[in-house]
Amino acid sequence: MEQTVPAPLRDDSSASTRTKRKRRRIDWLPFWLILPTVLVLLAIQVYPVFYTLVLSVQERKPSGWVYVGLRNFERLFNASAVRESVGHTLIFLVGYVVLTLTLGFIIALLLNRKSRLSGAYITLLFIPWILADIIAGAVFRLLVLPDYGLFSGILQQPGIFGPNGLSVLTAPAPKPWFGEFPFPPSPALIYLILASVWRALPFVTILLLAALQTVSNEVIESSRIDGANALQTIRHITIPLILPTMVVALFSLTLGGMNGVGMVFALTAGGPGNSTEVLSYLLYSIGWSALDFGRAAALALMIAVVNLLLIAGTMRVTRLQQRSE
Amino acid sequence: MTTAASGPNRAPTRKQREGFLANAALTLIVFFALLPIVTTILISFKREEDVTRKPPVIFPCDTATSGFDITACRWSTEGYERVILAQPSESAPFGFQIRGRMLTTYLPNTVLYASVTGLLVVLLASLSGYAFSRYQFRGKMLLMTGILAITGVPLLTNLLALYQMGITIRKSGIPIYDDRIFLMLTYTGFFLPLSVWIAKGFFDAIPRELEEAALIDGLSPLGSLFRITLPLAMPGMLSIFLLTFVNVWNEFIAGYLLVSKNELKPAMFGMYDFLGQNIINAQVIAAASIIIALPMVVVFLLARRSFFRAMVEGAIKG
Repeated sequence: MEQTVPAPLRDDSSASTRTKRKRRRIDWLPFWLILPTVLVLLAIQVYPVFYTLVLSVQERKPSGWVYVGLRNFERLFNASAVRESVGHTLIFLVGYVVLTLTLGFIIALLLNRKSRLSGAYITLLFIPWILADIIAGAVFRLLVLPDYGLFSGILQQPGIFGPNGLSVLTAPAPKPWFGEFPFPPSPALIYLILASVWRALPFVTILLLAALQTVSNEVIESSRIDGANALQTIRHITIPLILPTMVVALFSLTLGGMNGVGMVFALTAGGPGNSTEVLSYLLYSIGWSALDFGRAAALALMIAVVNLLLIAGTMRVTRLQQRSE
Repeated sequence: MTTAASGPNRAPTRKQREGFLANAALTLIVFFALLPIVTTILISFKREEDVTRKPPVIFPCDTATSGFDITACRWSTEGYERVILAQPSESAPFGFQIRGRMLTTYLPNTVLYASVTGLLVVLLASLSGYAFSRYQFRGKMLLMTGILAITGVPLLTNLLALYQMGITIRKSGIPIYDDRIFLMLTYTGFFLPLSVWIAKGFFDAIPRELEEAALIDGLSPLGSLFRITLPLAMPGMLSIFLLTFVNVWNEFIAGYLLVSKNELKPAMFGMYDFLGQNIINAQVIAAASIIIALPMVVVFLLARRSFFRAMVEGAIKG
């Protein structure tokens, strides 16, 4: 709520002497105000990065930590589990990002019509966003519990997943078409994508809706008068105008999708087999199940590098956006 | 504009037809968005016999003769009872004692972590956001860009190092220290960067003249921050608090890994534990999900403007 309080009458002479005196010496107040934030961030965000760097070139031996150079990275690249996991992650990310952006854009276009019900729709559509990924995963697992889930009846046809007793979450991945690359994905991975899209949709919708509301009606209307139909207007006017926001959404979805792990925990735990083992979950299993912290640190660093590239990309786009405003 | 104004007896205009279609589409979308939630609510009120039926039923209201008979519905709170585990007890205030760990241990932990982290983040973010909004100093752009870059660093890649740090601190035997302090600090560090940017945006929207007037009237710079600016920034600070609160409430992996004792772990760990224990007891899982999620949904419905304000502010920056 912005309030305006009438400012008291100014005593100009004393104001100017005060500001002059302030300008003469360095004002340390802002540094003290920022210091606590900087300290916390150094301890929790910056120091761990260096710690991870150090961990990634070591290996835990019974005698203690031993320096092993780049061997952890080598072992990662040579492990087929890692290569497969990269494949799962790529498939997951493409499906998740493309579906979320497309659906989010369509829903945002529908909401942008400013009908009387828009507020109610936004509120209702937003409820999935407020749920934790563990809860969302649990909810989606209940829907397809083998035999007892509400959707299992439909999805459990022998024609779809082969022999009886299998369901979305237990059917194995089909034989891959392209050598090692795990495509086509297992039903569980597709289901994981759908559940993740369900949870991410509200956020993307709101982001795109906010961008759509900055597009002036006159631009749209004049293009309609010029004879463009609705699809042409969207393609040639609306999308170019909100492209920066779409790119930001794309980056942040990719970032979130790569690092979100709760849904995998609650829904599939990497299975069946390793068909839903995305990189974030692999990091957990190397680190905390296999207790191979050196190798996990190497993997964390590689994920972090991709993250940094994504962040740099986002910052570039937002800066371009600010400059163009 | 599409066509001429329509009289009362004319066919609906294109605009009206489009509006109708859009509403129909949105209703359908809302239906699908809420379907998983509604089915979970339904499951949570079923009995075990109805949850483990083949083929599954949506409403436990069928009888031998009819598919749906409203008088024969077998709604039950069995799932909730098994989460709460109330036991009659003479000494307890309401005549029974709650024994389910979700309510005695995990949820109170989560409430503690979420509120303390929320308050810490609001305090730190408002101090630094204020400094970034009101002062010019050397290195400001660099610091702000650095904080923005950190915004994108996910908890996951830092978790390994934080886990090792946690072990080291735990071993060093600092008095009164326990994993809770480390967890809350981690959450603070993790949710702080974006909040700093959001806070700066909120302070930018408050006119400087008010503070200048307060300075002239003899308040110190800190005094004017606490007495003039912060009260005006309260709605913004509330947004930051709520956003952090929900984020901590919903966070799983750090609470799971950074805390060694089970009795200090948060509700999301409790939920994960439940998932492992109740493989077929869908009504128990559904009831636990609802018990954990309901407070956040209520908070969201009551304060949705606050959430949207923080989200839009944060999304544009981050």
